[in-house]
Amino acid sequence: MSGDVSHLRHHGGAAPHEDPRPGLPRQRRGTTPQGFGRYPDFDVLAQGEHWDEVTRRVVLDRVERVPPIRFFDDREAATLGAFCDTVLAQDREPRVPVLAMVDEKLHERKLDGYRHADMPPDPQTWRVVARKLDEEARRLRAEDFAAASQGIRDEVVRRFAAGELEWEELPVDKAWSVVMRMVLAAFYSHPWAWSEIGFGGPAYPRGFARLGPGQREHWETPPEFEVDPVSDVRERGVD
Amino acid sequence: MGTRLASALRGAWRPPENDSAWLLDPERRGVPGRETMARYGEREEVDLVIVGCGAGGATLAQRLARRGWRIVVLEAGPFWDPDSDWVSDEAGSHDLFWNEPRVIGGTDPVELGKNNSGRGVGGSMVHFAGFVPRFHPSDFEVRTRDGVAADWPISYADLKSHYERVERELPAAGEHWPWGDPHGYPHSPHPIAGGALRAVEGARRIGIEFKVGPVAIANGSFGNRPHCIYRGLCLQGCKVNAKGSPLVTHVPDALAHGVEIRAGAMATRVETDAAGRCTGVTYVAAGVEHHQRAAVVAVAGYSIETPRLLLHSTSPRFPHGLANGNDLVGRGVMVQGAPQVAGRFPEELRMYKAPPPEICSEQFYETDPARGFARGFALQTVGPLPIAWAEHVLADGHWGQALREYMRDYNHWYTLGALAELLPRAENRVTLAAETDANGMPVARMDYSQCDNDRANIACAKQTLRDVLEAAGAQDVLTVDRYAHLVGGCAMSASPEGGVVDSDQRAWEVPNLFICDGSVMPTQGSANPALTIMALASRLAERLGEGRVDARGARRAVAA
Repeated sequence: MSGDVSHLRHHGGAAPHEDPRPGLPRQRRGTTPQGFGRYPDFDVLAQGEHWDEVTRRVVLDRVERVPPIRFFDDREAATLGAFCDTVLAQDREPRVPVLAMVDEKLHERKLDGYRHADMPPDPQTWRVVARKLDEEARRLRAEDFAAASQGIRDEVVRRFAAGELEWEELPVDKAWSVVMRMVLAAFYSHPWAWSEIGFGGPAYPRGFARLGPGQREHWETPPEFEVDPVSDVRERGVD
Repeated sequence: MGTRLASALRGAWRPPENDSAWLLDPERRGVPGRETMARYGEREEVDLVIVGCGAGGATLAQRLARRGWRIVVLEAGPFWDPDSDWVSDEAGSHDLFWNEPRVIGGTDPVELGKNNSGRGVGGSMVHFAGFVPRFHPSDFEVRTRDGVAADWPISYADLKSHYERVERELPAAGEHWPWGDPHGYPHSPHPIAGGALRAVEGARRIGIEFKVGPVAIANGSFGNRPHCIYRGLCLQGCKVNAKGSPLVTHVPDALAHGVEIRAGAMATRVETDAAGRCTGVTYVAAGVEHHQRAAVVAVAGYSIETPRLLLHSTSPRFPHGLANGNDLVGRGVMVQGAPQVAGRFPEELRMYKAPPPEICSEQFYETDPARGFARGFALQTVGPLPIAWAEHVLADGHWGQALREYMRDYNHWYTLGALAELLPRAENRVTLAAETDANGMPVARMDYSQCDNDRANIACAKQTLRDVLEAAGAQDVLTVDRYAHLVGGCAMSASPEGGVVDSDQRAWEVPNLFICDGSVMPTQGSANPALTIMALASRLAERLGEGRVDARGARRAVAA
């Protein structure tokens, strides 16, 4: 679905496609976002018994205790939920509950240690972005962003990412950076995403012992699907 | 026999006059002695109050406490217990950073907090990667040698013995160091992971030499600090106690010698009397304002909070802020250009393993006239975890399926970074913003803009990183621009017109006010600053403790 798939060339491309990379296997152990991954037999949560208790609680809470939406109103939540799905290509269940994780940070004022002089505080930036996404979708003749077709959502996000929009409330490039970094911090803090990419996760107190090229811990598993992005792009002609 | 001897000696070599690693508990990671810590009355005039318990403040406190000084350290953040407060998790480590509001501006704004500002006992070193290179002798005389920036009022020789002493306390591990003033390290180098091996090989093919280290991570156990377990989460606070930060390298010994550390105490003003001398520090703890009297005040809040505190400490005698008669407080604040280049390799390298700081090259550190700009850069390893790697991919313009695909390729990438020396500029400065914090104190604003020399240096560093990765066999590279390491803002100088403090880090305008952090550095080299901040504190403590600094009654009734 959304976004471009030109991981083979930099700075975007114009070839969105419906599914994850063709040939990417279904996850066989544990859960990954949308049920695909390069490591179909690697479930990082199966290692939880080897983590220290404080870390285990923090990581498991992301799976087991999805916080309610408290910062955004219903309309903002619908728009931004669709936005998070689009920028992360989360087009089907299981989904990492990114918007709920972002909402909790904003609700608890867990913000980063700076604000650009020409930007409002981050919580306000999110509200402006929600409103503007709806306006941009209506400009493309959709009812609003959440009700728009995937094609319209993709086009709005493409323009947002490329800095092609002009909003008088704030600089669009900085707004993209503020929202995307919170989105990515939420998604890639989730153990489902770690299983998808083969990240070993917390390693205290056990640590890592197999550090060399191509080496794995006894509990890590090999990738089952390998694509060299450079040659893949060339072969698929999407470059 | 050799093995048995080495084993018997491992961790047995103790640094003189610092028992910190032996005072720690072998089973628990928290600092023992907090419950029995000395307590001083607020109306009692202590010998020294220090604002900030990081690399500068904690080292100064430990040194002077051993000489009998009665010291209170005010720390805005918590007194960390690594067992219960820290997690082996990237997002879960958010509280290690200074996340209080700050405003950034200029043409090249510097994002603050994560990556450059700590909060809590141990300071920014709690979340620093662990690289502890020395500055080069050339760093202290860049005006004379290169015609840029400023000379320091001290030389490398003034710091050398303190570099050696701090390296034994951390302790520093690495190969023999061929650059700058060549020297060895007390601990042998750590093993390196797959990506660093590839980088070393690639660099060698194009005539670039890397060395392993130097890192503040004991190789072997050290006192009651255990061996590193290579879990790769150095930037998230070391739950192992293997990586050195003041929390484990100086605070235990400081507590054992009568230092009181008041955590959760946010300094809001340095108070002065009509004669223009400091009388103590006003601070807020749990919403209540307090005042601690002291004969001497040392501010060690780093390059943003130190200028902020001085600028906020106005009085009829100091209407523009303390020690700011020449409008120099906050000016010349610096960062290093820290671009990162990631390379894609055919085999899995799993860059989340092993400490992010592994290898370093200082071959390009000094000015090379052939490059067309002044000063240079260092090359180092970085090792981003998934969230940091996602920001890298985002910076290259990807989202949606493309972003997910790049992320699924994580285990095939390895990342190198540069530290490019950017020059101090008067218009790069810390000021007070109109916005105030929860205590009603104006927040800091930092403006930052690069000059042409800075841009040329960063571009050259990026190209060199790409050359190394391509020579190592990378199939593709991704480049991102970023910054690292705040320093400057209260520069030391040879004359009152040139800076905020003298060569003893004493404010030119206030006889019993000292600044003991990275803000006093007139230039920043291409070296990570932690070791130099500690060495400066060590030198200051020696001079104060031996009475070599004429503090004119700065400290009363204490025998030298």
